[in-house]
Amino acid sequence: MNDVLLLAKTHVVTALRERVTLFWFLIFPVFLLTILTLIFGRLGEEGEISFEISLINRDSSSATAGDFSAMIAEVFTKMGSPHIEGQKPLFSVHVPQADDDLDTFLEREEHALRRGHRAAIVVIPEGFHDAALHAVMNPSGIAQPATLRVYMSRNDVASEMATEIITHVLAEVDREILVRTGHFDPGKAIARETVWAGQDTGEIRYVDFLLPGVVLMGFFTNGLFGVPGAILFNRDRKVLRRYWVTPLSVSRYLAGFALGHLSLCVLQLVLLLLLGRFAFGATVEFAQLDAVLILILAAVTFMAFGFLIASLARTANAGMAIANILNMPMMFLSGMFFPISGLPTFLLAVVYVNPVSYLVEGLRASLGVQSSTFPSILLVIVPLGWIAASVAVAAGKLKWDVAR
Amino acid sequence: MNAFRALLTAELRILLRDRMTFFFTLLFPLIFILIFGFLMGNIGNVDRASLGVAFLADVDRALLEETIAEAGALEIVPFDSLESLEGAVAKGSVDFGTAWDGEVLRLIYDPNRVQENYAFQQVADGITNDFDLKRQGLSPPVHVEPIHVGLVAATSWFNRVVPGILAFSVLSAGLFAVSGHLTAMKERRILDRMIVTPMPPVGLLAAIAVVRLILVYVSTLITLATSVLLFDLAFDVNWFHYTVFVGCATLGTMGLGTIIALVVRRPSSAGNLANVLAMVMMFLAGIYFPVELMPAFLRILSKGLPLTHMADAMRYATGVMEMSGGQFWTTALAFLGTACVLFPILARYVVRPARQ
Amino acid sequence: MLAEAVLRVSNLVKHYGEVRAVDGISFVVPAVTVFTLLGPNGAGKTTTLEILEGIREPDGGEIEAFGARLRRVDRAAKERMGVLLQEGNFEPYLKVKEIVALFASFFSHALPVSEILDRVALSEKANAMVKTLSGGQKQRLAVGVALVNDPDLVFLDEPTTGLDPQARRNMWSIVSDLKKQGKTLILTTHYMEEAEALADRVCIMDHGRIIAEGTTRELTEQLGQETMIEFRGDGLAPESWTELQMCCEAARSDGETITLETVDLPRTMESLFAWSRKQDIPLHQFAVRQPNLEDVFLALTGRRLRE
Repeated sequence: MNDVLLLAKTHVVTALRERVTLFWFLIFPVFLLTILTLIFGRLGEEGEISFEISLINRDSSSATAGDFSAMIAEVFTKMGSPHIEGQKPLFSVHVPQADDDLDTFLEREEHALRRGHRAAIVVIPEGFHDAALHAVMNPSGIAQPATLRVYMSRNDVASEMATEIITHVLAEVDREILVRTGHFDPGKAIARETVWAGQDTGEIRYVDFLLPGVVLMGFFTNGLFGVPGAILFNRDRKVLRRYWVTPLSVSRYLAGFALGHLSLCVLQLVLLLLLGRFAFGATVEFAQLDAVLILILAAVTFMAFGFLIASLARTANAGMAIANILNMPMMFLSGMFFPISGLPTFLLAVVYVNPVSYLVEGLRASLGVQSSTFPSILLVIVPLGWIAASVAVAAGKLKWDVAR
Repeated sequence: MNAFRALLTAELRILLRDRMTFFFTLLFPLIFILIFGFLMGNIGNVDRASLGVAFLADVDRALLEETIAEAGALEIVPFDSLESLEGAVAKGSVDFGTAWDGEVLRLIYDPNRVQENYAFQQVADGITNDFDLKRQGLSPPVHVEPIHVGLVAATSWFNRVVPGILAFSVLSAGLFAVSGHLTAMKERRILDRMIVTPMPPVGLLAAIAVVRLILVYVSTLITLATSVLLFDLAFDVNWFHYTVFVGCATLGTMGLGTIIALVVRRPSSAGNLANVLAMVMMFLAGIYFPVELMPAFLRILSKGLPLTHMADAMRYATGVMEMSGGQFWTTALAFLGTACVLFPILARYVVRPARQ
Repeated sequence: MLAEAVLRVSNLVKHYGEVRAVDGISFVVPAVTVFTLLGPNGAGKTTTLEILEGIREPDGGEIEAFGARLRRVDRAAKERMGVLLQEGNFEPYLKVKEIVALFASFFSHALPVSEILDRVALSEKANAMVKTLSGGQKQRLAVGVALVNDPDLVFLDEPTTGLDPQARRNMWSIVSDLKKQGKTLILTTHYMEEAEALADRVCIMDHGRIIAEGTTRELTEQLGQETMIEFRGDGLAPESWTELQMCCEAARSDGETITLETVDLPRTMESLFAWSRKQDIPLHQFAVRQPNLEDVFLALTGRRLRE
């Protein structure tokens, strides 16, 4: 038993002492969790995103109070100062100087927009106030509404988002105007309710959605790269040969290897859980029986898959190359990070064959952050099938010593 | 000159035989394009979203239906009850849903679709606001008219991603060219044999650079063509800018690869370090998600990464983004300058006979 | 301590396709002997050893180890063996003491780690990682690992190839120490001096076969009571020295050195000096010596041990 334990310890210690393995195995999942949560987890949160926009008021005919153009301009200018002290405002608003020619300014801003320095340009056109006044006087829709022009770039996500936010703001302004002018009765407004289908828990936070995926990604890369890497490099460098001249049998070596590998997975899991909970406020509870079982299933599936790759590659470099080629498609065509709806058939085929897809869904379902679209039986059968196939192939094909 | 040509041919033959590098340089960007094209094209794309509509009481349907119709190109799917609508949303047969009983407007979302719901909510909010006003016989006094002033007529933001992927493939090819190739040659003692010939080490580097340049250039063209053919994208490529920049950037990143090879002695470690840096840069350089979405400190970091500037320059060269001529040429010359400065250093320190 | 043979090998065969790497060899290794397989590269020494170490499957023949008949060396036999491989590596990120402890765990009985480290003079390096060790230190570690189970039979495959002279001498003293401890050693080498210095029994192998066996003295005596005369002969045309054949038992050249075998030293020397004066050929690097195993090999095969 001691040999198995020491072999396991060897596997763990070697991974932690070798800087490269340490990076991919520990640091990279942490990095990924951090980056994706910081970016996608903050969508829609105030004070976090900031866009550069410009504002041009061409409606010079207005000077009176209750002036719509001035009001719109003020709304945006106000958004240029932060809600909370010290935080960046949603919009950084650029306006022309007192003596700037408006046409020149607009042209400059358009250039800036195309260069990505501006997300949108809000232009209050001439005659805006009059048009708005007219529309307010005749609110039943017979008159044309006043138009607020927003110059944007359609293939730029930041620009699209800024435009959407502006549209949203205007909707609130519209409502406010109609309330103030007595046309809209807030008492008769419709009640709104958001319903989260199929869940008792309501809206799911992004980090709760992401964390199981990152954990599985860690297990996956550990199995995909760590297993063939360790076995093939040790075999090719004749580290293994030194073992085979002793009474150590291949099966005991494998037992120690597997124990070490699974220990590394546990280490990864704990690290990511701690980070997720204490740094990002994740609330998913991994300490449930079905979640733990799926985690074990995942770790074993990916480890077996690693053995499969090791048995298919002749040299260590070939093994790493295979792992690299399979890495991206298997990780992304699985629903781990991006939804798989709307994929063309030939890519969906990959999704259905990919064991990762089932394990991701199974884990998320067991944690209550996603209801699975695959039938439950498949969530276990497909990974088990992969384990069986991998073991069968590897048992036959994996060479434990280099040929002379 | 004959010696140089011989070296070129030898280098080309080595590269072609090295099928791994060959496929990686060509295959990798293609895989990226395929995956991200199909996957990320779905996010935020509400043009063909399906909205399930259920009327829960005997209410006037016309107004809500009219409002929804005005909201855009949504596919409308009718439902009889709230339960059936919720079930459909949960299963994914419709993207989101709305149910109206005369007093409460319910908006139904699938909590699984964490990344898409943001866009669906925008649409739903718009419908709700309009409906609210319409019910009281009102229409919004102010209306927003988006005017597209961007460079390319294409609607997909994948247009911006593709040049980023091209930039990334140039970066990784350049970084690995040195750390992987040269040091692997060192291991195989090929370098030793070449050093004893009268060819100056810079000549060897030049041969490697030329062959790499051709490979990288061709691979970017293939990647670009694939994205155009498969995803129906439009680009406005300025071939002069494109060629010049790919050339300068490849050389420049080869130079950066020098630094890695200098800092790290073992070839496998150098390759690994290059891999790590490329991967980290890929996330931080604003290739897959816009820099604006990142927290401030990451945005600043992003500006300092070579990949960020490479991506911008490639966007400029393919007509996706505008850039001042000054900025473009500064970037290109910066990469070329890096190569000019680092290549002689590379020649002196790295191209040395391997010990033991 | 066994009085009878530790190892008996009969008709061992191993072929790779058409190539017969081991072509029906038989030998007996008595207890407490340094048994040496001597031969040039490619003779089949390492393959033979690998079969006896249990990491290569023979195609034919029988092995009897520690009195037990085996088709293939099994775990029970391995418990009593120690192996120093010709080529092999350790996990670079393990410490020296961790390596020894790991290998110790593979056996039912093993010596304490500290004792092993003392024996191979690596106690100071106990906490150093393998990747920081020099070539000689790694070799010592390998020896330590080979001895971790206090084996009765130790295999040493080309133990001094690639070592500097000092390290080589260290290895030789380790070998003789091991013999003093009552162990049986099977050693392969292509260095004649090594075989002469260490071996009790020598098996000369060539092309997968044993072409001679015995003690060093027995083997050299096969050449008769001969003395060897050598001198530098490069550049000499064959006709110029073939007449020397008349004054000795045999004369041959390997391109660099001309060697004369003689049983009548004074007479041959006289003829040689006369020839040298007549031909005006200086006798550079002139030497008179006893026959060695290199000569035996040369006599048997017409080739040198070392290329």
